[in-house]
Amino acid sequence: MATATAVPRRRNPVMLIRSPLVARALFPVVVVGVWTLIFYGLESQIFPSPARVLDFMWNEVRLETLARSNVYQTFLLSLIRLFTGFAIAVVVGTVIGLAMGLSKSVDAFFHDWVMATLAMPALVWALFAGLVFGFGSLGPILVTAVTGIPYVIVNVREGVRNTPRELFDMATSFGVPRNRMTRHLLLPSLLPFFFAAVRYGFSIGWKGLVLAEVFASDRGAGWMIKYWYDAHRAYAVIGYAFFFVVFALFLEKFVFDRIYARAFRWRPQAGTVEVVEEAAEPSVQQPTIP
Amino acid sequence: MATTLEEQHLRAPSAEEQRLRAQQRRETQRRWFWRIAGYVTVLGVWELVSGWVLAESLLPGPTRIVRTFPEIVNSGRFFLSFGATLTRIGIGFGLAFIGGAVVGMLAQSRWFSNFFRDAVTIGLTSPGLIWALMGLVIWGFKPQGWIFAIFLATFAIVTVNVAEGIRALPKDLLDMAKAFGTPTLRRQREIVIPHLAPYLFTALRFGFSNGWKITVLTEVFSSNKGIGFEMRVSSQLFQLDVFFTWVLSFFVFALILEKLILQKAERRFFRWREDVSVA
Amino acid sequence: MAKIAVRDLRKEFGVGDERVVALENVNLHVEGHVFVSVVGPSGCGKSTLLNILSGIETPSSGTVEITQDEEDAHPGYVFQSSRLLPWRTVMDNLLFVQRNPSSKEARERCQRYLDMVHLGDKGDKYPGELSGGMQQRVGIARAFCIEPDVLFMDEPFSHLDAITARSLRRQLHEMWVETKKTVLFVTHDVGEAVELSNRIMVFAQGGRLIDDITVDLPFPRDPSQDEVAVAKAHVLRKFEELDLVAT
Repeated sequence: MATATAVPRRRNPVMLIRSPLVARALFPVVVVGVWTLIFYGLESQIFPSPARVLDFMWNEVRLETLARSNVYQTFLLSLIRLFTGFAIAVVVGTVIGLAMGLSKSVDAFFHDWVMATLAMPALVWALFAGLVFGFGSLGPILVTAVTGIPYVIVNVREGVRNTPRELFDMATSFGVPRNRMTRHLLLPSLLPFFFAAVRYGFSIGWKGLVLAEVFASDRGAGWMIKYWYDAHRAYAVIGYAFFFVVFALFLEKFVFDRIYARAFRWRPQAGTVEVVEEAAEPSVQQPTIP
Repeated sequence: MATTLEEQHLRAPSAEEQRLRAQQRRETQRRWFWRIAGYVTVLGVWELVSGWVLAESLLPGPTRIVRTFPEIVNSGRFFLSFGATLTRIGIGFGLAFIGGAVVGMLAQSRWFSNFFRDAVTIGLTSPGLIWALMGLVIWGFKPQGWIFAIFLATFAIVTVNVAEGIRALPKDLLDMAKAFGTPTLRRQREIVIPHLAPYLFTALRFGFSNGWKITVLTEVFSSNKGIGFEMRVSSQLFQLDVFFTWVLSFFVFALILEKLILQKAERRFFRWREDVSVA
Repeated sequence: MAKIAVRDLRKEFGVGDERVVALENVNLHVEGHVFVSVVGPSGCGKSTLLNILSGIETPSSGTVEITQDEEDAHPGYVFQSSRLLPWRTVMDNLLFVQRNPSSKEARERCQRYLDMVHLGDKGDKYPGELSGGMQQRVGIARAFCIEPDVLFMDEPFSHLDAITARSLRRQLHEMWVETKKTVLFVTHDVGEAVELSNRIMVFAQGGRLIDDITVDLPFPRDPSQDEVAVAKAHVLRKFEELDLVAT
């Protein structure tokens, strides 16, 4: 790095467009542009203009809605259901996952069924819950739990299996007592896997919940978007879809990223463990998110 | 970690070897015992719950489903429905695969990777339901509706995998090839494509597993054929035995395709990748 | 006085085609303030020997005794990779292996050994914030800070660059002189063995102990000294003579 002559930072437009932030900001602009073009090209009765959708969203935000509950009530109710259902998933999933990771017999007992539940579409649980529990909160909560459980199981199990052998050997050869090993070695080494489990289990649970709200509830975010669909209000369906996107991004950025940064101070760079999507082969090395 | 040694040929198995063998055998037996116990327990509980805890009309047991299966096959709609659903998956996911792969390739450039970043995040985190309803409310029964939904629900999975594959391109091998003056085309064929193939395969597998679910979902909302349609009709008519049989037969079919055929094929093609087999 | 006695040790792994014999008929006896190196090519079973001595693995047959004045000895270990808990600070890593981590003496002792490896001010750092050489020094401090009777070291410098390794060897030597420990040091680097040890045990493929050489040269030793070079050549010739180096 010898000759770094100070290049004058000129704000020339070509340079500006190449900056990563602009690239990112350009995406929504392009989407809205294409959308507008389609709107004028299509001349359809149903297909709404961006302005129409924005107007709907703005009304919702200002509590002016035609539906029977406003957007805040709707998402708050869904959030409570999500947390309740997912809390159940974490408890049940952690217990079974730990047991499977520690004992080969328990693993053999549950393995195939965990795989099957993992692959089962949430739609099936949602339809079934609607028929069994009717409309209410119980169905959506249970569906959230059932879709989240296998994810938690699989990742916790993987964490137990991937505990750093050489650190355990080290601790054994130094004669470190068992309870200290559990506290300082086993639990911290499980934490990243646990977090991965919670993070992706949560997003899966959310997908399950909204389906359950469509078929087994008469409130909540999932029900609401279906309500607008049944009312053939395309602008409202699209508007609500944007609320969904905002909600998911909010959870990611403000809830999980924060917790994550706190729990893993010891990691210089926030390298995550890979999420496990399948119980059988932990080897899938691509971090593929559901 | 034990040091690997040159193999030594010894006449008779030693006492230690026999002990290890016996231990391995015991372990296999125990695993199978518990596996079968798992099947017996789950199927048993299911069978018992049906009829005792929940009415059989609400939760048909496994035996009931086995009996309903031939009825559905003989109804004549079985292959029609499977065919309809599979066609949709093929078209919708086929387009998403191409689109996702193109975006993943473009993500090589920092600019495009930033441009598409939010699209990928949204694609991964949003429930398929919103795409299904959006597509259907705009286009109704027209193919654009379900194509839109399947595309948006699955393209991001493909993108992420392809981008990951490109990120992990073996730069050292490419440099080596360049140093030897290997022509570009041969470099692509001998290095880039073999390297990317497993990533594409994984994208295919995961994408399919999401794709069939979203396809069925769109069929539940608006269609007059396909597995999702059959599910909706049977649940509306409260024929849960029929409902479960439809679901489970397609579920088993998808599982076989995904786990047995695609996964086996993946392992066969990519045997050279040691890290795949290391558990 | 610390004593390591190994009799008729044998260890094998696996069955059928995968079966390998890692150690065969190994006998050795080490006693007092000595620095013993175990050298040999990769795959000669030297790490297995150390795993058995540290209790991580059990022998297929034979016995191992590690004693201090006729009682069970208290060993310390340094591994090839530092094996520090990444989620605990340097100080907490040392405390992790203490008998009584909450005591004041334990903390003071850890600090003393951290000072000895010149990392006295790094106690609050996480291992990930240190260089590889520093991490290995923490590993050495950890082994010493439990004040062991014997020390087992498994190629502790093999992952480091030559210059760092050299300075760590000097530090290790000084600590050995100061603390008068019995050290068993596994390495594939013959030069390193000659530089540090009183005794060199030569292992060959198949886990056989083929020679036991006493190196009677004054410390500090330097690779440039003739005697050291001769001793090194002597050990290397052992392997060549027997054509034991895997080719």
